[in-house]
Amino acid sequence: MQQLTALIIPLLILFIIGYGMIKRIAVYEEFVDGAKDGFNIAINIIPYLVAMLFAIAIFRASGALEFILTMLTPLANLFGFPAEIIPMGIIRPLTGSGSVGVLAELINTHGEDSLIVKTAAVMFGSTETTLYVLAVYFGAINIKKTAYAVQAGLVADFAGFVAAISVTYWYFS
Amino acid sequence: MLNKIWAGLIIIGILFAFGQDVYDELNNTFNNGIPQKIPYTKSLTSPSQVTLTLSQSTLNAQFKANQRIHIQLNKQSPQYLHDIAAIHGNDTHINAKLISINTTELNILLPELHWQKLRAIILSAFDMAKFAVKLAIGLIGVMALWLGLMQIAEKSGLIKHMVKVVQPLLHWLFPNIPKGHPAFGSISMNMAANVLGLGNAATPLGIKAMQQLQTLNTNKNKASDEMCMFLALNTSSVQLLPPVTLIALMGTQVSELIIPIILATSCSTVAAISVAKLYARASKKLVNNVPGQGE
Repeated sequence: MQQLTALIIPLLILFIIGYGMIKRIAVYEEFVDGAKDGFNIAINIIPYLVAMLFAIAIFRASGALEFILTMLTPLANLFGFPAEIIPMGIIRPLTGSGSVGVLAELINTHGEDSLIVKTAAVMFGSTETTLYVLAVYFGAINIKKTAYAVQAGLVADFAGFVAAISVTYWYFS
Repeated sequence: MLNKIWAGLIIIGILFAFGQDVYDELNNTFNNGIPQKIPYTKSLTSPSQVTLTLSQSTLNAQFKANQRIHIQLNKQSPQYLHDIAAIHGNDTHINAKLISINTTELNILLPELHWQKLRAIILSAFDMAKFAVKLAIGLIGVMALWLGLMQIAEKSGLIKHMVKVVQPLLHWLFPNIPKGHPAFGSISMNMAANVLGLGNAATPLGIKAMQQLQTLNTNKNKASDEMCMFLALNTSSVQLLPPVTLIALMGTQVSELIIPIILATSCSTVAAISVAKLYARASKKLVNNVPGQGE
């Protein structure tokens, strides 16, 4: 599988350009024409990304998360799963680098073989940084009113969170 | 909703930091104005050098003139010491007052530290604002590369062929995209990149898809149903191969996680599609509502 991913992009590039040549497209000129937009899109994204990342930074640095965690620990125990994975569930939709940090820390304290780390890793792999994706995708086309996209994204994250816990526990026991 | 989440993160963050700082002030957590007795050992190399143990971390320090002592910080030293150093315009050492000294202990007075949490959140807020620009600028190259390739694929008719293949599959998810529209092409390319864990390619292709969806959007200021569905699919991350970061962190362990990840991600994807569909149905009923309402 790993080898497959290494092959896909070069083959895709070869295919797109090769097909363009066969169809007698001015490939170089078209490439430049299309690539022009890259700059404007990235610049468009900046205000959205600044807004989102700065809010998340304030929340994370305040230590509110640790506080919420201590509040949620009894709840986690009630449902019979370790509270250690809750930070992953909360951080994952907010920041990618933050959730990598959480996972690395869990690996450090519990080891790669532990059920906690496996659950957190499944959680990491099965959901996305919702707020980041939202800022980037809507920022690129300058849309501020995001309708119900956040709700859908967060519900997906929550479903992923619950599914990760139940699937991992079922699969490894 | 996004407005509330955004404001919530900031307000909760600031209020929480403020509350903690007030608590620290009332309890004088950082021993402001109180001299501390700290055990030390003399260095063997220089008479002015000592090693001291402060808050469970071992630090080197050096005696200076006028009853001062410079405490050298390292990576293990606790955050509040770094904060003290930062307030006084220095990253590497604290300039403390030496009150008295005996054979085993130093009696020193550290500079005062107030409003530590509020300082910390503002610092990281500004850091993140800078980082956001870096991230966006970093996107330019990858963005340009994929947009260039997509332009070739579009002009050569490759996308048109692709649309024909994927259209029947995607039509149910995106009922408002007209038949044969290139948006189907970029959406399916983005999904393919996601499925294969190619995050680098997924974002530019996703943005391309969003641009094409925007051309079909009737209200250019507000996200369309198609966009919300597309975003929901992206945030639930349909994937068959684990993301590269996970492989880097977990090593070979990752291979036994592939099946659980596929199962869990299917659940989140089904949830995302259902929510998006339900909202789309609800908003259709309210079609005569004031335009531009909602978030």
